[in-house]
Amino acid sequence: MKEKPLQVLVVEDNAGDVRLLREMFSGEKRGRFELTHLLRMSEAEIHLAKGGVDITLLDMGLPDGHGLDTVRRAHAAAPDVPLIILTGLDDEALAAEAMTQGAQDYLIKGQIESRALPRALRHAIERHRMQAETDLIRTQQMQFKDEFLSHVSHELRSPLTAVRQFVTILLDGLAGEIRPEQRQYLEIVLRNVKQLHSMINDLFEVSAVQAGKLRIEPQRTSVSDAIAYTVNTLQEAATAKGITLFSDAECGLPPIYADPARVRQILIILVDNAIKFTPANGTVKVQARILEEDPNLLILEVSDSGCGVSPNMTERIFERLFQASDLVAGRKGLGLGLYICKDLVMRQGGQIWANSAPGQGAIFSATLPIFSLSKLIAPAFRKEQGTGNPITLVVTEMGSQTGWLSDEVRAKQSYSVRDLLQRCLYPDLDVLLPKLSSAGAVELFFIVASTDGIGGAAICKRIREQLDEHIHREGLTLSTSYRLLETVIRNERESMEEFQEKVATNIQKLVNEAISSRGVENGQ
Amino acid sequence: MGNKKILIVDDDPDVRHGMQVRLKANHYDTFFAVDAVSSMSEARKCEPDLIILDLGLPAGDGFIVMERLKQMHSLALIPVIVVSARDVRANQERALKAGVKAFLQKPVDDAELLAVIRKALGEPAKRERPECYDLGSI
Repeated sequence: MKEKPLQVLVVEDNAGDVRLLREMFSGEKRGRFELTHLLRMSEAEIHLAKGGVDITLLDMGLPDGHGLDTVRRAHAAAPDVPLIILTGLDDEALAAEAMTQGAQDYLIKGQIESRALPRALRHAIERHRMQAETDLIRTQQMQFKDEFLSHVSHELRSPLTAVRQFVTILLDGLAGEIRPEQRQYLEIVLRNVKQLHSMINDLFEVSAVQAGKLRIEPQRTSVSDAIAYTVNTLQEAATAKGITLFSDAECGLPPIYADPARVRQILIILVDNAIKFTPANGTVKVQARILEEDPNLLILEVSDSGCGVSPNMTERIFERLFQASDLVAGRKGLGLGLYICKDLVMRQGGQIWANSAPGQGAIFSATLPIFSLSKLIAPAFRKEQGTGNPITLVVTEMGSQTGWLSDEVRAKQSYSVRDLLQRCLYPDLDVLLPKLSSAGAVELFFIVASTDGIGGAAICKRIREQLDEHIHREGLTLSTSYRLLETVIRNERESMEEFQEKVATNIQKLVNEAISSRGVENGQ
Repeated sequence: MGNKKILIVDDDPDVRHGMQVRLKANHYDTFFAVDAVSSMSEARKCEPDLIILDLGLPAGDGFIVMERLKQMHSLALIPVIVVSARDVRANQERALKAGVKAFLQKPVDDAELLAVIRKALGEPAKRERPECYDLGSI
């Protein structure tokens, strides 16, 4: 089969250099290479974007492009075309740097052996092809693995359901009385079923992490509640192992901006982990306080008196599938918990790390941002508008005709309402506040809009139209109103931050009034 | 007053059996269906007070069953509880939108299932693991 000639694009403004290059190909058989010569970067970009080029020889000093910029532009125009840099002796360092920007190789003008050039070109193309192939295989493998994990964890659930059902049927005496010894053994089965269940959940979770599908809905969240929940949930497991589990969180901690379910999940993973690696008579302690180095962050700490890990392992333990096999004999997990935990913390704007030494226990620390209304509403402030701009608070109220909003309806509808409200806004000027109330006869949604009364009325109209059209009603009542904020003039001596803080205080006051006047619990 | 009737739709015979034992002990009468087709005929025949529905079924999944139930005048108002191995994130919202009373993921805790059933049937909630107390009255 006759091979198609390789299409070589030469981007070089020096006619002498081009002539030399052409001569180097003269020894090659006809039909092996086809050279296209262009003088300018702009022409090269157009030519590359059209496709059909197999490799580019690029000079980094062109009339309309210089240095690494030319490399980036060529790469952007055709990311799949391998690139060889042509450079002078004095620019070798720059050419080497170009390789980090996607160039395959560089050739120094005046030092190119004529027979070496065609070979260098073929090698560059081959290297590039292999790299692309490796990348593709890797992506496919990861995708296959995630689909496999998701499938397996799904398939494992049904048999596990039956095991659990019948163990509890036996335990509850529905198939006749059982002796204390039998009860003890069945309880061991049940405990292991629960562990298997949590491993399956980890598998599910990790495939979601990989696919970037974890849903996180940050809101004003109480850390103390999450700690109390965690200690409560895992107290039994700790006691069973003879471990003292307790919380030592400071009083009056500020709320954080995070998803409450995800914060509980983070703490459960960390405390569960601590219990796993702590022997009998040990302690596991959960603490929380404002981070001294950055008062915008809250730090959660889970410390144990367990076997610890060597300092050089404290980063690796957050890697996927890491298992502390040499650290502890006996029961192990899948090595996914801390990996999931790290993803959850980082996706909510925090950091996580561990401090430990073998035999000295471990301290796991995670930071999460403290809730700040003033930071959240920042987009509603236009910097260029010096002394102040009108701010309007729009409130949408979702209630039920029966006077009571059930949890199911609340869960079902508030997500769609938020979605629709988001569509009624100008994302760079208006801010839909996160969920601020937690229970009661109505659910409230707040929008801080950078507009005056007329604009406020317009937003209300937009929202009403959207809600009327799209929300499946089921006995719901929906109403929307707005209120212009009073003190929104920025004092000349005030910084933007101070001004935002002042407006935020005002908004918080209005929000609190709205919440308390409707008998809604404040979600703190 | 006779016992309330519950139709269990699940293609796994062991899961159906386990639910039957648990529900019988709590004074519910149980009926069974194994796929989307038999669930409709069984529902018409036994006229259940509640349906426990798996999502992954042969011959059309649980969502199709829900749709068909909605289309039948006599069956449209029967409360449905989904008990499925499928991913909560991907399916819960859709199921709730389709009008189910609750979405429980397998493996399900029986005490939770019973609590959800009672709520869906408008029965008063019992305290603590209620199935233990029911034992005495069998």
